Formats: sequence, structure tokens, C-alpha cells
Amino acid sequence: MGSGAQIVSLALPQSPLVCLDLWCRAGSVFEDAGESGMAHFLEHMVFKGSQRLQAGDFDRRIEALGGSSNAATGFDDVHYHVLIPPGALLEASDLLVNLVFGPRLDCSDFHMERQVVLEELAQSQDQPEEKALQSLLELACGSHPYGRPILGERQALLAHTPEAMRSFQQRHYRRENCVMALSGAITPSSIAALQAHLEGSEFGQLASAEHPQNLPPLAVKAGHHHVAIKRLESARLLMAWALPPASQLPAVMAMDLATTLLAEGRRSRLVERLREDLRIVESIDLDLHMLECGSLALLEAVCEPDELLAVQAAIGEVWDDVMGAPISAVEFERSRRLVANSYCFGLEAAGGVASLIGNGTLWKRSDDLAAPLRELDQLDPASLQAHWLSLLNPAQACVLQAVPQ
Amino acid sequence: MSSPRLITLPGGLTLATLERGGPPILAARLWMAHGSGLDPTGARGAHQLLAGVLTRGCGQLSAESLADLVEGRGAALRAEASEDNLLISLKCATEDGATLLPLLLQMASSPRLEPDQIELERQLNVQSLQRQREDPFQLCHEALRSQVYSDGPYGHDPLGVIDELEAIPLSQLQSLVGTLGQRGAVLVVSGHLDGDLDQLLASTLNQLPWTPARPGHDLPLAVDTTSGPSLELLEQDTEQLVLMLGCATPPLAHPDSLPLRLLQAHLGLGMSSRLFLVMREERGLAYDVGVHMPARRASTPTIWHLSSSAERAGEACTALLDEWQRVLEVPLSAAELHLAQAKYLGQDAMGRQTCGQIAERHALLLGFGLPADFIETSLQRAAQLSAEEVLAVAQRWLVRPHLSLCGSAPALEAAATAWRKHGLNAHL
Repeated sequence: MGSGAQIVSLALPQSPLVCLDLWCRAGSVFEDAGESGMAHFLEHMVFKGSQRLQAGDFDRRIEALGGSSNAATGFDDVHYHVLIPPGALLEASDLLVNLVFGPRLDCSDFHMERQVVLEELAQSQDQPEEKALQSLLELACGSHPYGRPILGERQALLAHTPEAMRSFQQRHYRRENCVMALSGAITPSSIAALQAHLEGSEFGQLASAEHPQNLPPLAVKAGHHHVAIKRLESARLLMAWALPPASQLPAVMAMDLATTLLAEGRRSRLVERLREDLRIVESIDLDLHMLECGSLALLEAVCEPDELLAVQAAIGEVWDDVMGAPISAVEFERSRRLVANSYCFGLEAAGGVASLIGNGTLWKRSDDLAAPLRELDQLDPASLQAHWLSLLNPAQACVLQAVPQ
Repeated sequence: MSSPRLITLPGGLTLATLERGGPPILAARLWMAHGSGLDPTGARGAHQLLAGVLTRGCGQLSAESLADLVEGRGAALRAEASEDNLLISLKCATEDGATLLPLLLQMASSPRLEPDQIELERQLNVQSLQRQREDPFQLCHEALRSQVYSDGPYGHDPLGVIDELEAIPLSQLQSLVGTLGQRGAVLVVSGHLDGDLDQLLASTLNQLPWTPARPGHDLPLAVDTTSGPSLELLEQDTEQLVLMLGCATPPLAHPDSLPLRLLQAHLGLGMSSRLFLVMREERGLAYDVGVHMPARRASTPTIWHLSSSAERAGEACTALLDEWQRVLEVPLSAAELHLAQAKYLGQDAMGRQTCGQIAERHALLLGFGLPADFIETSLQRAAQLSAEEVLAVAQRWLVRPHLSLCGSAPALEAAATAWRKHGLNAHL
């Protein structure tokens, strides 16, 4: 746009709806000392209205248009999205940018919404699996912000004020840090109309950031830990590895391939050995979390408490096997297809596409949707093994055994 | 919404196809009217166990070869039972359809049922049931399900009951396989289609001894809704109390279902919904609050749910009961009705964004034996319903809710006291 604010769009001719997805580099990683939970709490407060929109106006008007809205706060960024019929695009965009960039942060709303955030925290505390995962992140990431809960610490939440929230909002909701993504039932003319419409809006007129944002590099502390958690029914073996940041597309695609080879599907190495053959786990998952300071691979095995050592040993053996002999062409091709198809399946709905292009543009990655598939084609079994599978060495992982109390 | 093209394949299977264009992918759903509602007495969990085993080898393919074939093409395959049906789902690249679609028919008609694979699947299901107990919402939901449906067809989780699941013999699964499709089956394929699917599937079926019935022509299950206890308390050492308030309401095809779904949109759909506003925005009593109302062939449960801190348990319970009572006494305002109608209509487009969603929706319509224009008719009728009609339907179906509570002892006590004192309960 003229002002430098960015819009990115992609039409999906089959889609019955349009998704508007507003991304902002204002995740929990940017919270300063004393701001624990502020990024997420602010996301809640945004929905409490602006100078122009009373609390509830936004939701009522979007839903009266036949649309829906939601938001999510992550470690690195936050996004606010609406899904609406194509005819409602301009009206919805007006409402969205006014809501997100002009939060009223009213004092009594603030106290009420803090109760809601505390209820959200309590709800997550009552899920033992989430507690185990949070413990792993704390142990693995140490003092890095990724080790702290996005929902925040209870005591910090109780101490927050609308003024402190305003300060966080004004530091981060700036022109360089925001992107509007648009996908679904759109045409060149509806995109042009939206752009013209937004030029004079709160989004088009965003002020430039005063300070560059800092992304502290992530390191994972290898080690072994044990924790007892109440109300846990099955034990968990959790492992975390540090990986290259999301900005490195070749690494991201290679690690997607590596984790798929290890743990996606019955014929993947870990699932086959631990669940199908040895039968010592109910499930074993290895997920890749692409993050800006450094990505994380997180493994979760669900098993009986007395199988924890056997599970850990079997994971070590699987890794030794993977590294000890060449990866076959068949196994490589299986993993490559699973990754490529899963990526293509994600391009069907407007929400998925808006999220992909919005996040990619926000962090200045290629907006070429074919780029990930091209990176995949650059890989071969030998380099996958030597450069990428090797990063998942169990000896370099932070390991947590979680058992029922 | 576009209508599927329907043909009958050799042996009797109905094939529904929906060409969608778009990316070169497709989704398929093989829907069979054999769900956990038909689990034999003493064998709760049998259909889910069978569903899992169907993906573990069929025809000439061992469990390993089948997985190699599916995963080697980068496809996603799963099979699961719900209350009304057993569903095999596939998503794959269009170019792999010719290889993979015939497998769905083989899985349903000639699964291997290898004892070793059954044991594995059984153990995985037992462990899942055990792990589900970690989730207080799951515990609370289980209790309410029993209160509403006791030990009738809809009275248990499709995963089953641990003791019974552990004892299901191979012979019982074999006899279930013999009946698969006899109550009706349909294969729905949606997406970017390519080649002659009719011919491909017909030639597969010519070699398989499978004769499923037309979908939607069997009698719906007779689901007993004689009420169990109105209040159930489950003690758990948690910070929050989970509250679920609900009762049995009519099947999807019943004329009263639509007004109740409009009421659901009013009460529980989106951030403009009544329960969200009253419980969360005005009182800060909960993070998550909503109304659960699945699509069922027979009786459909309507469940209001929320979780609130132990120290506010009494207040949360009273507030929730007040809202239920309000639904029985106060008609929707014109603005509320209009908003509920807009949300109900909006939901329709949201449910047809992917070829998987489209295939699933048509499988359900065909499987339930609903008319081809069911969705259009419902959308039109929803736009014309009056607040008085909605109120009358609420008064017909929602008069005797059950309450299920899961949380710490003091929270249970506070909420149970609120329940006993409340006017809604007093007149039951």
C-alpha cells in the first residue's frame, strides 16, 4: 500500500468464503520483564472494543453478516481472522482494522477479561498433558521466552494494568510488524477495492516502529528430567530438540521430511518399532514447531509408567538404525509424498491459505507457494541423513519423563 | 449447493460423486450404517474395534502391505465408528485415486481380521479409554451420556467400555463383518475427479462378494431416552468445576430439530451468542462455553457446557440454570432471532470449504435417508421460523435437563446446592 503497510492475497476460485487474516509480530517472545501473558491478554482485550465499536459490536456485526471470527497468540506472533461471505469483505475489513488497531482497553473490561484469562489458565492447568508439555518447554528452553507459558503466570496477570498493556500494544502493533492476508472468493477488482478502502484506515495509517524487535536465539539444554503430575493416567516420555529457525526454508522442509520419516504413519520408523512391533506405546508423535528464534522438534510417547525406560531405549535404537545404514529410495519417497500431499491438502480452505501467506509475508519469507515443494525436490536420502536426521540425536535432546503422581 | 451424481454399482453399492475442480486432490467417505449404537450386548466398543481392524489388512494385502500402499502414496486413511455409522475416510492426490479407492471396498468387504492385529488395535483402544480419563470434560460428558441414555444404544463412548472391549472374541468381529453394508452403505467421492470412476469401482465390485443395501432405507435405532438420575457428581482434584446440562432432543430429520438448531445458534454459536455474552463477557465466569448438538439419526443430545473456577462454582451453576429457564419462558427478540438465522445460514458455507467436508456432508445426508434438498429446505425454513415456534419447541423438549458436574468436593457441593435450590429443578 502507499503507506508501506502490506496486504498479501491469493484467490481460491472454489471457495464459498473470504478469509481476512491480520498478522502482527506481537507474540509472547516480545514480552519484557513483568509482562508475562501480556500478548495473549491483549488479544482478548482487542475483542472488548475500540473507540468506535462497543464491546460485542464486532462479533455481532461479523456474525450477522454470516461470518465468524477468532484469534490466536503464539510465541512469535498473533493473528486475528474473520471468515465472511465475499459481499461482506469491505465492511468486515473496516471492523477488523478498527478493532485490532484501536483497542479501548477500558478499565472495567480489563478486570472482567482478566477473570476470563484466569479461567483459561485454570482450564489448561486441569489438563495434565498440557502441564507435562509446559514443564518440558521450561526445562528445555531455560530462560528463553519459549520456556514461558503464552497464557502467562497467574501472579503476573494479577499485576497487569491497562496502561502497561497500552505500552505493549504501542511498541509492537506498528506498520513494519503487521500484514493483512486475504484469501478465498476474491477477484483482482475486489482486492483493489479493499486496498483503496484500507489506505485511509487505521491499518493504512499505522505509525512506523521506533525500535527494532529483538529475537533472542534459542538453545535447548540437553538433559534428563522426571516429574510427577496429578491426574495423569498414562506416563509420557517427552523430548525436545533445537532446530534451525523458520526463516530457513530448506531446513524447515528437510526437517518436515525427517520427522515424517521417523514418526508419520504406521510404516514410519518410530511408530512401527514402538507401537506396532514392540507394542510399548499407545502413540508416539514427533511434531515440528517452526519458530523464528529457532524451531523445536517435540516428541511425545504415551505409555505405561513401567515402560518408560524401554521406550527411551527403543527411541535410541531407532535413531542408531536410521543413522547406521543408508535410507532407501522407497522410504525416502514415502516420506516425500506424505510431506508434499499434506502441504497441498492445507491449501484447500481460505483460512489455511490466508494463514500461510500472511505468516510468510510477516516474517519476510517467499510468498511463492510452490517454494516449499521445490525445496523438497532438492533433497536426497544421503543429505537428509547426514545433515538433517542427525539433528535429532537423542543425546542432544532435553528429555522429560512424566508419571502419574 | 451442487447435488451429487448417484449411480448404483454392481452388487448394490450407491456411488455419489461431486466434481469440484480445484487442486488435484480428492476425498472419499465410505459410509456404512453400522455404528456403536449397534454394538452387541456385552461387547461395547465392537464397532470401533472393527473399524480400526479394517485398516489392518484386506484381501491379498497384509497390514504392512496396505500401510505401505497408502502411505507410499502420501495418502491419509482412517476408519472410525460413531453412534450411527462406521466411516472409512480417504484423502489423496487425484492421480492416486485409481489405486487407492478400490481399497476402501476391499476393506469393507474382505478385511483380513488377523488375530495379532486385532489384539494390537484392542490394546490401543483400551489405552485410549484409560487416557481419556485425564480430561475432566470427557468424564463429565460420559456421566451425562449415561444420565440421558443409560445403557441404551447411545449410552456409551464408541471406543467402548474397557472390560467388555477386552473380552470381544474374533468370532464376534467376524459376524459383524458379515453384516457390514446390510443396513445401507454409500461411497461419496468429492474433489478434482479424473478418469472413469464408475468403471473402476464397478470392476472392483465385480470381483468382490459384497452386496450392501441402499443407504437410508433401514429403520433408525430405537433409542431409549427414559431418564436416569437428574444430578451426577464426579469428584476430581481440579481447579475448575466442569458443568454439563443437557437432555435428549429429536433426530436430525424431525421437524423440531431445526428450531432447536436455531436455538443452538442463538445460545452457543460464536462470540455473539447468548451464553458467551452472559457467562463470559458479563460475568467472567468461564473461558469456554457452548452448546453441543451432534447430527444423529435417532435421538440427539443437546448439551450446554462450561467450566468455571471452584470458588465460583455455585454462581456459575445458578447462572447456567437461569439461562436454561429463560429459554423455556422468554421468546427470542426480533433481533436475536434475526442474528440466529444469519449464523445458521453462515454455518452452511463454512461446512463446505474442503472436498473432505463436502464428501462427509453428503455421506451423512444419504446415510440418514434425508431428501436431496434437505439442506436447501432447512435454510429456507430457518429464515421463516418465528420466535413463538422456537419457544414452543423448547417447551416441548427441554423441560427436564440433567446436570453432570466434575470437580473438587467443595465445588461440587456449591453447585449441587445451587441446583437443589433452583426453580428449574424444583418444579421437576
